[in-house]
Amino acid sequence: MRRGAVPLMPCLALCLTLMAAVLTACSGDDGDDPVRLRVLASPDLAVLAPLLGELKAETGVDLRLDPRPDAETTAPDRDRYDLAWLSSDRYLRLTARSAVQGLQRTATMTSPVVVGLQPDVARELRAKTPGGRLTWADIADAAATGTVRFGMADPRRSASGLAALVGVATAAAGTGGALRPGDVSCDRLRGFRSGQTLTADTSPALIDTYVDHQDEANALITYESDLLALNASGRLDDRLEVVRPEDGMVLADFPLLLLDAAQRAAYAKVTEWLQRDSVQQEIMRRTLRRPVSATVTRDPQLREPVGNALYFPDQPAVIDTLLADYGDPGRRTASQVVFLLDFSGSMRGARMAALREAFADLSGADATASGKFARFYRGERLTVVRFGGRVLEERTVTVAGPKDLRALADTVARGGYGDSTAVWSALDHGYRTAARELADDPDRAVSLVLMTDGENNAGIAYAEFVRRHKALPAPVRTGVHTYPVHFGDADAAELRRVAARTGGRMVDAADSSPSGPSGPSSLSEAFKEIRGCH
Amino acid sequence: MPANRPASEEPRLAVTRPPRVRPRRRVLALALPVPIVGLILLMATGNLLLPLRQVVTIEAKMASKRDFFQDPEVERLLMKHGFRVHITSMGSREIANQDFEGYDVVFPSGQPAADLISRERAESNRPVLLYRPFVSPIVLATYRSYAEALVDADVAEAQPNPGGRPMYYTLEMTPFVKLTEEGRRWSDIDIRGHGVENSNKILAQTSDICESNSAGTYLGLVAFVDNDNDAPDDEKEAARVAQEIKPLLVEQGLPSSERAETYLSPDGQSIAPISVIYEHQFLAHQIRHRAEKGAPDDERVLLYPSTRFVTEPQLVALTGDGARLGELVSEDPELQHRAMELGFRARNGNSGGTTGDELAEFLTRRHIPVPTTSSNDTRAVLPPLPLLEQMIKTVGDCPDRKGDVR
Repeated sequence: MRRGAVPLMPCLALCLTLMAAVLTACSGDDGDDPVRLRVLASPDLAVLAPLLGELKAETGVDLRLDPRPDAETTAPDRDRYDLAWLSSDRYLRLTARSAVQGLQRTATMTSPVVVGLQPDVARELRAKTPGGRLTWADIADAAATGTVRFGMADPRRSASGLAALVGVATAAAGTGGALRPGDVSCDRLRGFRSGQTLTADTSPALIDTYVDHQDEANALITYESDLLALNASGRLDDRLEVVRPEDGMVLADFPLLLLDAAQRAAYAKVTEWLQRDSVQQEIMRRTLRRPVSATVTRDPQLREPVGNALYFPDQPAVIDTLLADYGDPGRRTASQVVFLLDFSGSMRGARMAALREAFADLSGADATASGKFARFYRGERLTVVRFGGRVLEERTVTVAGPKDLRALADTVARGGYGDSTAVWSALDHGYRTAARELADDPDRAVSLVLMTDGENNAGIAYAEFVRRHKALPAPVRTGVHTYPVHFGDADAAELRRVAARTGGRMVDAADSSPSGPSGPSSLSEAFKEIRGCH
Repeated sequence: MPANRPASEEPRLAVTRPPRVRPRRRVLALALPVPIVGLILLMATGNLLLPLRQVVTIEAKMASKRDFFQDPEVERLLMKHGFRVHITSMGSREIANQDFEGYDVVFPSGQPAADLISRERAESNRPVLLYRPFVSPIVLATYRSYAEALVDADVAEAQPNPGGRPMYYTLEMTPFVKLTEEGRRWSDIDIRGHGVENSNKILAQTSDICESNSAGTYLGLVAFVDNDNDAPDDEKEAARVAQEIKPLLVEQGLPSSERAETYLSPDGQSIAPISVIYEHQFLAHQIRHRAEKGAPDDERVLLYPSTRFVTEPQLVALTGDGARLGELVSEDPELQHRAMELGFRARNGNSGGTTGDELAEFLTRRHIPVPTTSSNDTRAVLPPLPLLEQMIKTVGDCPDRKGDVR
């Protein structure tokens, strides 16, 4: 509680002639006292620095912005800063809850994370999509084929990168809800990620990187505001078309947080000023971010609907998994899947047709959203091993284009069935292949998919396989997991046992008939379900 | 101008009489050994109202009810009575969680947070005075397309509006909660048929359950519905119900703050199709819209849960000046009238069933439809405070409150 006593006569005289603002000052406000506040800022906020002189002149509060690249991902140091002004505080709310819980928080402007596409790519993608309405799945699909090569900020360091990652992962999970740990147990973004050619630690740095390397990327995933501002800057050879993916977006609201409660009076002045229509107008003019005020007339470019906001996950474990799987955008490691496919006589006919269809689906024929995320992608290394009573054929490709996928399809299409089923010999063979590949490239992520429709009746016994598996070098034994696909008359208990032993998981495709005239078969669904599991 | 005069130099006015103490609309927090002493202390710091000569700056912490105190007309009326209010804004439960040293009043949006505060203060022999100037029901604010999709799905029913398209709908809570439970999406109930594409799950978004009264109240509402229209009344039952409803309430993921601001923003429909807010926030918007644009906002509509709950914001006075402010906003006819113009319901003559007559008349005069309540509606009851607290912590995984012994 503070009291300000005011001499009656001078005040009356003043009040009669001056406006309400003066009345406020005259009746005891201590607003004339200049206050200097230290502000931890996202680099995204530096663009507003020129406005702060006006803020100081009108409110007496002097904000000293300290833009730091790690502002959005490191708990703020309350001894050094009075306020924090971030593009988003979601990362901190998840990873440093106690540091930001209960702080006064004011949203100052908004911008969704969207995709900017060069015009020719946009045209090509739209032509393939009914109604021309693009989704994150379409972007992932085009990234997997190499059509889209994009830049995106590092999600481990920047809120825009994290928002993009969460957006695309939520779309990939396709549940319509916030991501749960079960939704991210397998990495569905490998295809999407294979299209990333540029990165940076912050959103502003990403823009500069893109400007300098326009020949290396044809798409940019970042804030709508940054894309619009970049288009207006004249720094581009080709303006980027702003695409707001149909399956949703993540919105940044640029919150101003009060770190030092003792500065609440100054904080109130700053937030009141920032929310004034004239200031919101000016922020919009400078940044092309959307005003939080409903009464500001929007720039025509900002009248487009913002797109449905996706529910943002609230479990730190989900974010941890997403970030770990996404890894270092600057240093991509290849992954490899070894498919061990049962070509015993019982696979003839409908079952073989289903297997070929499953491979076609993974090669790009599956037009569903999940299919677009799960498809084989450029740079992925794929090995197909056909086996009966023994290994019949092994073929490895590194996907560079359609011809590699055709080569793979040819291998699967070939007949040449065996009379018996040597499940454990085949798996043992798979592990030897994996060991060889890992010896060549220890960073590679290798997993095995074992598809069989019968019980083991040839080759080594399960016990012998286990003995050999135990003798494998540690990185192969613990790092290469087996994902059995149970089909036809295979022994589910045994397959489950080997999955548990190797750290994988069994999926069931027991029904061999296609699920409908146009729907993918159960085998195709099973393959899709374990894509990206590692 | 003597604006920065240090506190010690302030001329003090002699206290000639204590503020009037009338029992109406005022609840002495606890009948404890020393409340009399506390009361006398409160009175002793009180001051006379001397407009223009003396402006008292009240330091206040509040949540959504700052809408009232930040209204320019309310500010003017308060200034007339010698008050200016400095607002620190945060969620109601968070108000109760944090220290209130240096504040004259705190104004959580509902009874639970006020109870937490008055209980704590009473335990430390510093009882408080409580004022309840007005009330407002908890509602689910949405947009025309979404409300109509819910009508088509037999989950909501429009309240007839002779003057045009309906502005109010009654939402059947049991089937609505079931939609969320079953993981149904907007696309499953043909939102596309109403011109909107959205395949997100159907649910009502709340602000942070650990921080806000509206979210905690909505939890109480869902718990009441889940528990066959009965509030859990022992720890075991509360634990069971909390576990049952937790998946429904955390489905929205990381909550965002400022539901009403988001709802009213131009991008609101994209950000959250249904937001849990207070009726006054919606009515204030429609009254303003009508005044500025000549017609109500036809796209924003309200879902009244069939199981109703009226929240009672409580102004907690921590000092004598705070008590004078509480008294003023509860008793002053001009301020009470202005509260109604801002969409609040008067507290007396309206225990939650029907719209206050005065508010109904006011809305009618402004050509804004008047919400009606059906006699079939159930009145929800919140569980006792300790159980509600327990359920909030379970559902929100909230950090312990300060002073928690466990």
